[in-house]
Amino acid sequence: MSTPIVEVENVNFSYHGLTVLEDVSFSVQEKEFLAFIGPNGGGKTTLIKLLLGLLKPDSGKIRIYGTSPEKAAHRVGYVPQDVAINKAFPISVLDVVLMGRLRFHGKTRLSKFDKKAARNVLAELEMLDYQNRRIDDLSGGQKERVFIARALATDPDILVLDEPTASLDTTGRTELYAILKEINKTKTIIVVTHDMMVLSSYVSSVACVNRSVHYHDDAEITEEMIQEGYHCPVELIAHGIPHRILKTHEDEP
Amino acid sequence: MIDALQFEFMRNALFAGFFASLICGVIGTFVVVNRLVFLGGGIAHAAYGGIGVAFFFGVPYIVGTLGFSLVAALVMTAVVLKAKSRADTFIGVLWAVGMAIGIILLDLTPGYNVNLMSFLFGSILAVPNSDIWWMLGLSILTISSAVYFYRDMLAISYDDEFAHLRGVPVNLLYFFFIGLIAVSIVIIIRVVGLILVIALLTIPPFIAEKYSNSLLMMMILSTLFAMIFNLVGLWLAYTFNLTSGATIILVATGGFFISMIIDYLLPSDLGISQG
Ligand SMILES: Nc1ncnc2c1ncn2[C@@H]1O[C@H](COP(=O)(O)OP(=O)(O)OP(=O)(O)O)[C@@H](O)[C@H]1O
Ligand SMILES: [Mg+2]
Repeated sequence: MSTPIVEVENVNFSYHGLTVLEDVSFSVQEKEFLAFIGPNGGGKTTLIKLLLGLLKPDSGKIRIYGTSPEKAAHRVGYVPQDVAINKAFPISVLDVVLMGRLRFHGKTRLSKFDKKAARNVLAELEMLDYQNRRIDDLSGGQKERVFIARALATDPDILVLDEPTASLDTTGRTELYAILKEINKTKTIIVVTHDMMVLSSYVSSVACVNRSVHYHDDAEITEEMIQEGYHCPVELIAHGIPHRILKTHEDEP
Repeated sequence: MIDALQFEFMRNALFAGFFASLICGVIGTFVVVNRLVFLGGGIAHAAYGGIGVAFFFGVPYIVGTLGFSLVAALVMTAVVLKAKSRADTFIGVLWAVGMAIGIILLDLTPGYNVNLMSFLFGSILAVPNSDIWWMLGLSILTISSAVYFYRDMLAISYDDEFAHLRGVPVNLLYFFFIGLIAVSIVIIIRVVGLILVIALLTIPPFIAEKYSNSLLMMMILSTLFAMIFNLVGLWLAYTFNLTSGATIILVATGGFFISMIIDYLLPSDLGISQG
């Protein structure tokens, strides 16, 4: 195995004395497609903010590409869980994506080249026709694509998405994961999701985040994970989906 | 109105209105999209403390008000950045304290009595040439900052967390812009009064927001609306011999309601261009 690009060692984190993450350790390899799953309030968003350097661990160590999260921030593209909710803000789709080109390679001014790059990612996500629309006129799924485009415009090595499929219908989800799978050919992807459907078919590893983090380097949900339902959200089991995943797992040699 | 232009006071009033519109169009847009209207009000009222300081200690008016408002603005910004949820209470306190200090200091200043009305509504028809130069300088500063920092301003207003991750110095720019708001408010208050500053900072951008699909367009439209309100207000004030500041505000408010009625009658968002 090559050296991991993300290393988390014995990280503890609390908000105002309230422990949210406890003794978290795992690592991520180049080109991995890692899913964070876990119940609401389990600490998934917190963990992502720690990886981005937006929050600092109380103790423990986080290294991204061998350096601190702050120093590596320019190599990480971030799609937040909720952007500018209820903000009636006059901004076009293209302007949102151009935010991803700010300080690109340290440049302070945007150029024609940046606009071209922004349009290219919009085209990749089939959103070019909407480039001059006001962003709050778009549907939830269209907005999500724009925020993914903004993250991709930063030309990241790691793409981090916090619940990108929350506002999408089944078709939208399938399309989005197809796009992510394509992106995964060149980039590492970390995605927070409650969407169990995707686990078996798209992701390469799963981490259950619920105060502690349990990392599984294959996407199947194993028998012991279900038995110790405590590690993973209970609705997982209730939906019956894991059983199907489990079956495919058992089918394998 | 045309024959009124032969008077210097009328020409200066038009210039003052023109520059105030330019500054308010740009700064007001930033204020409105960042939900900083209350902070703007706080700065404007804290400026009154600066008037008291200026008269009591015998320092020049502009030094007193500018110094006082800048300090108040920077303290408010620090609080907004540290504890967003409690910021409104804190601004409310500074707002009240600033005014109280101003009034007490004026009480204690022997022999001088500042006219509160002129602080509230300004005296756009009695603007000296020196103030026109101040406003010209400030317009240049405001517009060049907005042009230079346009993308950063857009990013920190829309999603400051993302801007920070991209390496934009979010807090520094926040202090800079709020400092700029403070300077603008102080200089414009002198000309058009406290109430008109707040009206010009908020009403034109509020109307413009609905018809803009970019921050730039919102700034340009706000400036245009503000200029129209100023011009119409001044003309009405001159023709019917009314208080100019109050007339301009009523015209702006009229514009505000007309835009609401238009929106009501045309429920489809015709105003927003589809590019
Ligand atoms: N800014 C904050 N201040 C204090 N506590 C917080 C803050 N943000 C989150 N928390 C708490 O930390 C815990 C983890 O929150 P987090 O947002 O990381 O959960 P999550 O796994 O992303 O949940 P969801 O699936 O609902 O998005 C929760 O109990 C939450 O109440
Ligand atoms: Mg979350």
